[in-house]
Amino acid sequence: MSDFIGRRPIWSLLILIAIALLAFLIFAVWTPWMELTFGRKRVFLSALFNGITLGGLYFLVASGFTLIFGLMRNVNLAHGSLYLFGGYVGYSIGNLTGSWFAALIAAFVIVALAGMLMQVLLFRWMEGQDLRQTLVTIGLSIIVADLLLWSYGGDTFQVTTPDWLSGPIELPFVVALRSNGEAVMMMYPLVRIAILIGAIILGIAMWLVLNRTRIGMLVRAGVDDRDMLSATGVRVQLVFIMVFAFGAGLAGLAGVVGGTFQSLQPGEDTKILLSSLVVVIVGGMGSIPGAAMGALIVGLAEQFGSVYMPTYAVMLTFVIMVVVLAIRPQGLAAVRR
Amino acid sequence: MSAVPSLERLNTASSGNALELRGVSRLFGALAALSDVTLSVRPGERRAVLGSNGAGKTTLFNCVTGDFSPSSGVIRFFGEDVTTFPPHERIRRGLRRTYQISSLFAGLTVVDNVYLACRGVSRNRFSLRRPRRDDTLQHAAESLVDAVHLTAVKDRLVGELAYGQQRQLEIALALSGAPRFILFDEPAAGLSPTERQDLVQILTSLPAHIGYIIIEHDMDVALRVVESVTMMHNGRIFKEGRPGEIESDPEVQELYLGGGHG
Amino acid sequence: MALAEPRLAIATPRPREGLSEVIARQGTAFWIVAALLLVMPLLANPFWLVQILAYAMILGMIALSLMFLAGYGGIVSLIQMTVAAFAAYLVAIFGDSAITQISLKWPWWTAVPVAILLATVFGTLGGALSVRTEGIYTIMITLAIGSAFYYLTLQNYTIFNGFSGFNGVLPPAFLGIDWGSTVPFYYLTLGCAALAYAVVVYVSRAPFGLALQGTRDNPRRMAALGFDVVAHRIAAYAFAAVIAAFAGVLLVWYQRQVSPGTGGVGPVVDMLIIAVVGGLSRPIGPFIGALVYVLLRTFSLDLLDWVGFEGKRYQLLIGLGFLVIVLFSPDGLIGIWQRLRDRYRKSRETQAAQMRVGGGSP
Repeated sequence: MSDFIGRRPIWSLLILIAIALLAFLIFAVWTPWMELTFGRKRVFLSALFNGITLGGLYFLVASGFTLIFGLMRNVNLAHGSLYLFGGYVGYSIGNLTGSWFAALIAAFVIVALAGMLMQVLLFRWMEGQDLRQTLVTIGLSIIVADLLLWSYGGDTFQVTTPDWLSGPIELPFVVALRSNGEAVMMMYPLVRIAILIGAIILGIAMWLVLNRTRIGMLVRAGVDDRDMLSATGVRVQLVFIMVFAFGAGLAGLAGVVGGTFQSLQPGEDTKILLSSLVVVIVGGMGSIPGAAMGALIVGLAEQFGSVYMPTYAVMLTFVIMVVVLAIRPQGLAAVRR
Repeated sequence: MSAVPSLERLNTASSGNALELRGVSRLFGALAALSDVTLSVRPGERRAVLGSNGAGKTTLFNCVTGDFSPSSGVIRFFGEDVTTFPPHERIRRGLRRTYQISSLFAGLTVVDNVYLACRGVSRNRFSLRRPRRDDTLQHAAESLVDAVHLTAVKDRLVGELAYGQQRQLEIALALSGAPRFILFDEPAAGLSPTERQDLVQILTSLPAHIGYIIIEHDMDVALRVVESVTMMHNGRIFKEGRPGEIESDPEVQELYLGGGHG
Repeated sequence: MALAEPRLAIATPRPREGLSEVIARQGTAFWIVAALLLVMPLLANPFWLVQILAYAMILGMIALSLMFLAGYGGIVSLIQMTVAAFAAYLVAIFGDSAITQISLKWPWWTAVPVAILLATVFGTLGGALSVRTEGIYTIMITLAIGSAFYYLTLQNYTIFNGFSGFNGVLPPAFLGIDWGSTVPFYYLTLGCAALAYAVVVYVSRAPFGLALQGTRDNPRRMAALGFDVVAHRIAAYAFAAVIAAFAGVLLVWYQRQVSPGTGGVGPVVDMLIIAVVGGLSRPIGPFIGALVYVLLRTFSLDLLDWVGFEGKRYQLLIGLGFLVIVLFSPDGLIGIWQRLRDRYRKSRETQAAQMRVGGGSP
């Protein structure tokens, strides 16, 4: 940390100022002048929180995507289909058992199995053939999309939020002052907070596994240099299958999460795939911290965009992507090689 | 060629050298593949760079051609600072190299490979028009093929050539256009004794104004085609001299000749 | 980056030959197809002429521009459909359409060249953005750029007229011919497609095309021969964009309308599917792929109903067909055709040999 401040004094200063400004915006009672420039504080704060929680969802999807790409050079364009598949599975299981947790776990396990099958039956036979693998995932995404449409129809579904997670909670941020001077506090859906915390815990856990365990070392070594991985004598295929299963499972899990605070319908697979693409392009391919950074940026851009410039909200994320590509083609967090 | 070139590095004016490296280092993580290499080669000079595997010879080449950029230091080519130039800009200034592992276009014929190389350093690289039969570059390509003794197989696909012939073709590619300085990366590796004779003959009959650096493990080849030698070890230069001096140097004998040939 | 698994095109530079030599070199299959296409208006009804053949040729041209980049340059760009859609939009914006408050009503001979020029610039810039990254990464970036364009057209009303786009875009009438009517439109498309095909074949053997194939096989080596690999790839994007832009103009004249869906993620991916199904190794592949695709789209409903399946499942059919091709014939339908032909030839040769050898025995 101090190392960074020493190397990049100006950047550190800018970051500190930005953090301080953000803290001020969050905690201060807004003056009329500020309300005039930024709109209501409630709107600002909910855009901020929605952006962060949306970033949490994107992280769940994109981290699996980026891990699979980093290790196997497989651009899994069926990743969005895995997401939607997981969402539908979670919906069905949730209806069957009435348990949200059961839905979450079932979606993870079933989609992970599906991912495992994809790796075992298809991709391991075309190792090193990037283009062919990608084409196969395109074919799969078309097939899965139509199969899901066949069995679930074109209706919109939502996974039911469990009782203990439903409803808003009060956050310690003052939104406005009543005329009698009483502070109005920010209310925010508990389930979103829970999901965000879940995503953060998962992210830290993934980081720890990747950096502190033997299997994580192997995966990281494989991301850096695949030949080396096979030279160490580990069973590369086993590592590949596990990583593919885990990445796919995460997408399935994210499907349930997304189905809880957004909705499930045909076309959602493409949308989530595009978001993951942008996330990993911005963050840098193959990097988990990059996925986190990209997810946060894209989530915030989408939410703030839709509040402050509704016409071009979606464009904003792509503009960010183009700028990143032009300045740092390898992505924000990727190491220049 | 009679005068033995002086090997003092620093007193030669920078503009007078074909190639000049000053304090060039290249790090891979914590590993220094090159550290503080300072080297100058006069126009037309022919030099061997010797050293055990991992001594930094190929990294040196990669820094000179621009495949890697050095972590620090300056590289001048005929007086011009090319340290930050991309490879193709250096090539267009007359630098050439061959690769240790054959790096040719296997799907094209011999003459087409050379034709492509001639195109690369000519104008009209982007030409959308097909060449005429009497195209000058086509002629240039054919005569280069002849110069490396490959006329008999000029219309064969490169993928079908024998290994030694591919090595010879590598040299033809390096001779395309108007080379002023060439880097040969182990041109004799994998060649039979007769092919080595052929190689020596090709190298010694190059026009006198073309200088080169050759990395070579075969001392019989290396010392017959150069007038000066640079010894490298662990990414550093530790000795420079004429072939005879190097061969008889006890330190060199122990470090390199002893290990490599013992 | 190993990108070269479908057997990629290898064209050697040939010294320039006279037209007669070129003509003499073509096989009989070429002449049969050419003659058939020329006399097609006598054989086929308007539906087949326009809805099937002309449409397939337009899609084939877009896929051809993708094939040029992928087959010769090793660059799998999904941006080609977007370039075509952009050109289509520009024709509607500069020319005439039913959306009179936006369309500028320029005559076609200014609107079309400007549209093609701007679309080419767009394709080149998109290429310049994605070219610095390598291999499979290109697919993702071009897909993302394509969807950015899709959302732009969807959300912008002042220029692109948002969700509804432009309708009433009519082909022009000049030289006393209404190019929108069936037979002239067929010949117009045929002419453009044939020209695009010929140009791609020609350029693939010109120094530029040759160098492009060099950058595909060994970019580092090409740089060491003095080629600016990045500049070559960007130039290839520009060349491919011209073809896609022409196709886009034809597309808007064919559909008489253009909307965000024209350049949506579906069509963008469809172009890749068309090119791959046809085969990335030769310029004829995209046209074959496009024909198959159009036939499937048009008739799969009936076909599926006929075999007692729900007609709505044609996406499933396309997906499965695509998967089968990718898994079993990486060089597409062309690859299957070539293998069949080789086998036929071989069997005929062995037959002939047996006849010769076995001629004496009973």
